[in-house]
Amino acid sequence: MITAQHISKTYGKGDTAFQALHDVSFSITSGQTASIIGKSGSGKSTLLHLLSGLDRPTSGTITIDGTNIFTMPAKDIDDFRARTMSFVFQSFFVEASQTCYQNVMLPLEIARAPLTQRKKLVREALSAVDLADKINEQAGNLSGGQKQRLAIARAIVNKPKILFADEPTGNLDSATGDLIIQLLFDMNRTMGSTVVLVTHDQELAGRCDVQITLKDGSIQTSNQVKHSKVKQ
Amino acid sequence: MRLFDILRRSLRNLRTAQMRTILTALAMSVGTFALTLTLAASNGARQYGNTIITNNFDPTALIVSKDKNFFKQNTANQPQEYNPSFGTVTSAIGGSRQIQMLDDNDLARLRDLPGVKSVRPAISLGLRYITRDGARKYVATAQAYNAYRTPDLLAGAIPASIPTHSIILPEAYVHALGFTSAGAAINQTVRLAVNKQASASALTQLLAKNGANGLSSPPANSVEERFKVIAVLKKPSSLLVASNGLTLYVSEPDIIALNDIATKGSSDYHTYLTAYVEVANGTNSANLTTVQNEIQKAGYGAESVLNAEQAITQVITVLQGIVSIFGAVAVIASLFGVINTMYISVLQRTREIGLMKALGMHKKDVARLFEIEAALIGFFGGIIGSILAFVAGTIANPFIAKALGIGNTKLLQFNAAQILGLIIALIILAILAGFLPARKAAKLDPIVALRTE
Ligand SMILES: Nc1ncnc2c1ncn2[C@@H]1O[C@H](COP(=O)(O)OP(=O)(O)OP(=O)(O)O)[C@@H](O)[C@H]1O
Ligand SMILES: [Mg+2]
Repeated sequence: MITAQHISKTYGKGDTAFQALHDVSFSITSGQTASIIGKSGSGKSTLLHLLSGLDRPTSGTITIDGTNIFTMPAKDIDDFRARTMSFVFQSFFVEASQTCYQNVMLPLEIARAPLTQRKKLVREALSAVDLADKINEQAGNLSGGQKQRLAIARAIVNKPKILFADEPTGNLDSATGDLIIQLLFDMNRTMGSTVVLVTHDQELAGRCDVQITLKDGSIQTSNQVKHSKVKQ
Repeated sequence: MRLFDILRRSLRNLRTAQMRTILTALAMSVGTFALTLTLAASNGARQYGNTIITNNFDPTALIVSKDKNFFKQNTANQPQEYNPSFGTVTSAIGGSRQIQMLDDNDLARLRDLPGVKSVRPAISLGLRYITRDGARKYVATAQAYNAYRTPDLLAGAIPASIPTHSIILPEAYVHALGFTSAGAAINQTVRLAVNKQASASALTQLLAKNGANGLSSPPANSVEERFKVIAVLKKPSSLLVASNGLTLYVSEPDIIALNDIATKGSSDYHTYLTAYVEVANGTNSANLTTVQNEIQKAGYGAESVLNAEQAITQVITVLQGIVSIFGAVAVIASLFGVINTMYISVLQRTREIGLMKALGMHKKDVARLFEIEAALIGFFGGIIGSILAFVAGTIANPFIAKALGIGNTKLLQFNAAQILGLIIALIILAILAGFLPARKAAKLDPIVALRTE
């Protein structure tokens, strides 16, 4: 369960101060899919950073499974993130000079996963995104869609409770994009991960359990849409 | 992250930026190369100095002179008044000075001091010649044999106490005196001739007969003594001993007797420039120092091997310090290279750092990732530098020895512990150099870092 209560975020101080979020409140139940939609500059990424504890709100609280994450010391937030969350970004952020195996290994190393399980987990994650045959390939040699699949493999290798995706299809053609979205929904179904998805795509947003629509930093609508998932 | 994982990632990063890593490490290796060779040269010089000292001085004996200033550099720039009872010493660089001589009373006084085992006058007696039946005559110098070290023998044996009229012959005299081998010389008899001081009346007679020219060929006024060869010394390796390896050794009473014959009737009779004072349990340097102080308090000059060693060590340490400065400067200069390289590494990997921090990597671990990277550069620099120095030194050693004429002594002595210490010091310095870039990485805001396209 992710609960945001009255969160506001102001960048800068004095004359240059800019309020990116105004009094935003909503909640997402564990295992749901949620979409954050809105125009460019409406504060979607800002909200995602706050939800994942990468940034602190100016006011308001964020509670994840009953824990107010901003009362924790920085180190504990780090550990919490390593254990429970993962990310997929618009521009993939895979390490071109490293192999697929090494890329996917990173979250396991950070979370201090037992050495004996690492190899198996990496293989499983790569199989899930259909990249098992590329395990020793340099990530730089992959196509854009393959890179994003690799990023998803890296995001799911730890079996996270929450998966944040910031416009994961932004750099892909629509066919490849659909495949990536399909993968994210699969993860939600098979692993029960909560998926928080930032998107511009109204149709895609409609497929999510929760829709949070931002306009100039304020919530316009927050709909709990039941049974709207497109059946495969 | 586990340290092992961090280490592996650091290594991987270094491999990705191979050229940069190698060049930075090479820059560090220059200073290491210089420092390793400096250390090796000082080790060698120190060892060589000590070898010379232990080969030429009895470590348990003090060298004592009547004059306190004997061991000091002569700094007087005023003429010294002549004193007939003093001996005159001319230094190698010219300039004479008079030194008071030790006499039998002094030796007796020294013998009575606490902690003194024995006292023997330092006599190096120039013989008229050495010969044997059927052989030519050869010039020679004789000294008392002192058993503080066991010399290499070609034949025979040296008993703990040498019987009178026994002689230990250097290798060079074996063939000169017509022996077929060192072994053949053992138990054979040789004759030593000692000049006697011409008596005043004999000189007057000679002057009356031949005029002043007569003095240029003094009367054949010498005494021959017979000695039995008991051992033959192996020729010492070059430059390890101060003497030319041509000294004959006889017993203590014999050298005194021969010296008495040579000096009887002159002012040198029973006076000595220096004496060796053997210290009881002198291998303990504390005993040596105690007795040395005692002797100095009694008004004599006294030097020990320790003083000589200290002097040599001091000179070498100073030289080592001066030369080390160049190596140290090179190392410091290369540290800026490490700082630069590490900053570039952090900049290049801004996005990766952002991702790692977003995935929950601790600040401390991010910093460690770069510190280890810097440490590895330091390690490689140290290893490359010291290996190159070792190889270069090992190749150069024979040439250096040849050029300096020090036989097969190795001037460059590599010490594993020193090299290890040097590498560790370099690693620490590299970590310090990597501190600021590593801190920059640790402080990177993941949001900002991930915005970098
Ligand atoms: N560090 C910052 N300092 C100042 N203003 C910022 C900062 N980060 C974001 N903003 C501002 O906050 C607003 C929201 O930014 P945000 O990145 O959340 O938008 P977004 O909805 O994700 O847009 P897009 O769809 O283009 O990614 C923008 O007007 C942006 O300029
Ligand atoms: Mg955005």
